[in-house]
Amino acid sequence: MRSETKRRLKRDRQLYIMLLPVLLFFFIWHYIPMWGARIAFQDMRYIGANEWVGLKHFKMLFSSPVFFRVFMNTVTISTMKIILIFPLPIFLAFSFNELRGSIYRNALQSVIYIPHFLSWVVISGIFISLLASPDGVINQIITLFGGDPVSFMTSTRHIRWVFVFSEAWRSIGWDSILYIAAINSISQGLYDAATVDGASKFQQAMKITLPSIAPTIITMFILNLGFFMNAGFDQVFNMMNDAVINHVDIIDTYVYRVGLTKGNFSLGTAAGLFKGVIGIILILGTDKISRKISGEGVW
Amino acid sequence: MKKKVLALLTLLTLTSALFAGGAQEEAPVQDGVVSIKIVAKDFPDTDPANIAHLRNIEAGFEAYTGQKIALELVPVPEGAYGEKLNLMLLAGNIPDLIYFQGGDEVIANQGLLVDLGPYIKSSEVMQDVLMDFNKDRLANYPYLLWLAPPRARTAVIREDWFNEAGGEIPVTVDDYTELFRSIKNNHPEAFVMTDTGNTGRMDFTFNHAFGLNATWVRENGAYVYNKVSEGSRNKLAYYQKMYAEGILDPEYVTTKWDSMEDKLYTNQVAMVYGTAGIVLDIYNDKLMENQGVGVVALPPAKGIGQGYSVSSAKETRGWGISTTSKNPDVVFELLEFLATDEGQTLDRYGVEGTHYNVVDGKVEFTEEKENWWPHFHEVMAWDAPTPLLGENGLKGWEFIQKYSVGDPDFPIPEELSPTWDALENLYKEYSYKIISGEYSIDKFDEFVSQWYDLGGTKVTDYANEVMK
Repeated sequence: MRSETKRRLKRDRQLYIMLLPVLLFFFIWHYIPMWGARIAFQDMRYIGANEWVGLKHFKMLFSSPVFFRVFMNTVTISTMKIILIFPLPIFLAFSFNELRGSIYRNALQSVIYIPHFLSWVVISGIFISLLASPDGVINQIITLFGGDPVSFMTSTRHIRWVFVFSEAWRSIGWDSILYIAAINSISQGLYDAATVDGASKFQQAMKITLPSIAPTIITMFILNLGFFMNAGFDQVFNMMNDAVINHVDIIDTYVYRVGLTKGNFSLGTAAGLFKGVIGIILILGTDKISRKISGEGVW
Repeated sequence: MKKKVLALLTLLTLTSALFAGGAQEEAPVQDGVVSIKIVAKDFPDTDPANIAHLRNIEAGFEAYTGQKIALELVPVPEGAYGEKLNLMLLAGNIPDLIYFQGGDEVIANQGLLVDLGPYIKSSEVMQDVLMDFNKDRLANYPYLLWLAPPRARTAVIREDWFNEAGGEIPVTVDDYTELFRSIKNNHPEAFVMTDTGNTGRMDFTFNHAFGLNATWVRENGAYVYNKVSEGSRNKLAYYQKMYAEGILDPEYVTTKWDSMEDKLYTNQVAMVYGTAGIVLDIYNDKLMENQGVGVVALPPAKGIGQGYSVSSAKETRGWGISTTSKNPDVVFELLEFLATDEGQTLDRYGVEGTHYNVVDGKVEFTEEKENWWPHFHEVMAWDAPTPLLGENGLKGWEFIQKYSVGDPDFPIPEELSPTWDALENLYKEYSYKIISGEYSIDKFDEFVSQWYDLGGTKVTDYANEVMK
């Protein structure tokens, strides 16, 4: 080992020791299981050694009569979520930055965070009772304004929007924490100087806040793309019903139904690998594009 | 120094966390005692009643066979049972006796489950207690044993509204329609019937009336999947009419089983469907508790036919013996003992002192009995000295005995299962849209055409091949 490296290790040993649990966590729960991904290329045996079958499970997955539709559902739902939900926590963080009353701000923040702690079983129950029935609250409001009731949960036109809205309701409060922290780290002196120069609140937001947190936004966007193919198993599984199944069935729910519940873990792993490869391509591709355009990347 | 101690403690904590809950010593087994490990759903070893039940079975088995056994429940992690069980088996933890609720085919295909055929052939008790449909299923798939009545869903209607509407037990589809309309007239704010996500429960009452007496029905000299047959079109048209008249709950597709029951107890629907047997008694008791009124069980509707289809493809749940078991003969003997009168007494009554007491030689059930159900078998032929079912439960069983009809079905092979999943989903979407009126019934032809194009032709060819 080079003496410079040794010197650094010795100097920062406390930091390295603190890092150890995190490294161990990732090694045990994220790296060791990667060895198990080989079962995507094997027929799993409950007794004896697994049998190598090459791309059999990938072929089975891609040759399914509905896999393309399931794939497109996943891409569509994920795209809707990324485009429509990703900016919302940033707007929320900007709004919180303008709220000065700390008690009011804290109370509001707490209320907005709460949905994050609810499970999708509970949230789907709430949304079904609100949106499925012609007598539900939302339909009562629609009727009050002269509209016709809509069965949102069984309508193929509306169900994906229900997914986007419920996901936004659940996650934007929690996701805004990072941006609030980034905004709080901006020097107050910049705002004071801008105020002296006569900059409006909007100008301050556009010229100081936004550029200051741009690296955070870019990093979060690239990382989010890594999970692009995770369109939300828990949400879709709990909110799906027969009326809309062909419009919202995503890779995860398909694999759960056809693979896991029938003990076909190889098929499930093949789908997981497929999703993972797409995620990596998206991360690397976006990172490269981002570096070219803005000079900022994820690492 | 302090920093070094801190670092050491961190490492120790991590190491101990890693190895915590590691290998446990197995309980020593005495000479001559056969140890049997069992895994089952909702049968945790943390419940003292379950442990007492196992000890009673051990004693009963020894008295019956002279063989000493030690039963041990293998815990399954929390979560979806089928998924957790599969992971447990994959990890090499394979108990002797395994309860499956699906997902068993992959395991059986790998030779991990004992062929029960030879055991059953040489068993006297099983020959007596197996129903015809069990025999058919075992002939198709000899790895799962499930001694229980067919899980047909029986309609139950609240008694007061039923009596207001004339109190005549409906026989034909027209009788049912008349009853439904009368109830809707009397209680316009409520719906008459609902279901849970699809029409699966209602179908038990109406399928045969529309000629859907099997999974694969004969049309023009060949087998056709019942959901794409002419009978299916007529049934969907009927449901569509019921939906349009406000008789069928429009929320049936988003209703889960617990909310379905809640709708019955809170005056939102008049009629629900439950598994024939004790479930019907539970509906009766809970409605009595909530509304002070009971339910009436109704038979399947009569039309082209009348009955409940009982598939002979395979058991949908049941007990399998692992081929890794060192004593499969004793494990089968245990299953057999539990099917005898002595075994049924233990399994159906529960634990003496907890679920029942014997007073003056008579069995008196305690309130705890409500929390007990047979964990192994529910032999329909067993004549319990103290009846276990109430009026509705017995009525449900009576309907099953009278109306059950064999359905010469077959298991869908693994290579066709993704196609089958796609075909079933196609039906789900079209059937809902037709029933809800979004599509006219004429769209049924489009559905049939798409069904065949999507892979239905391949599956139908396979069906006609295996059902020759």
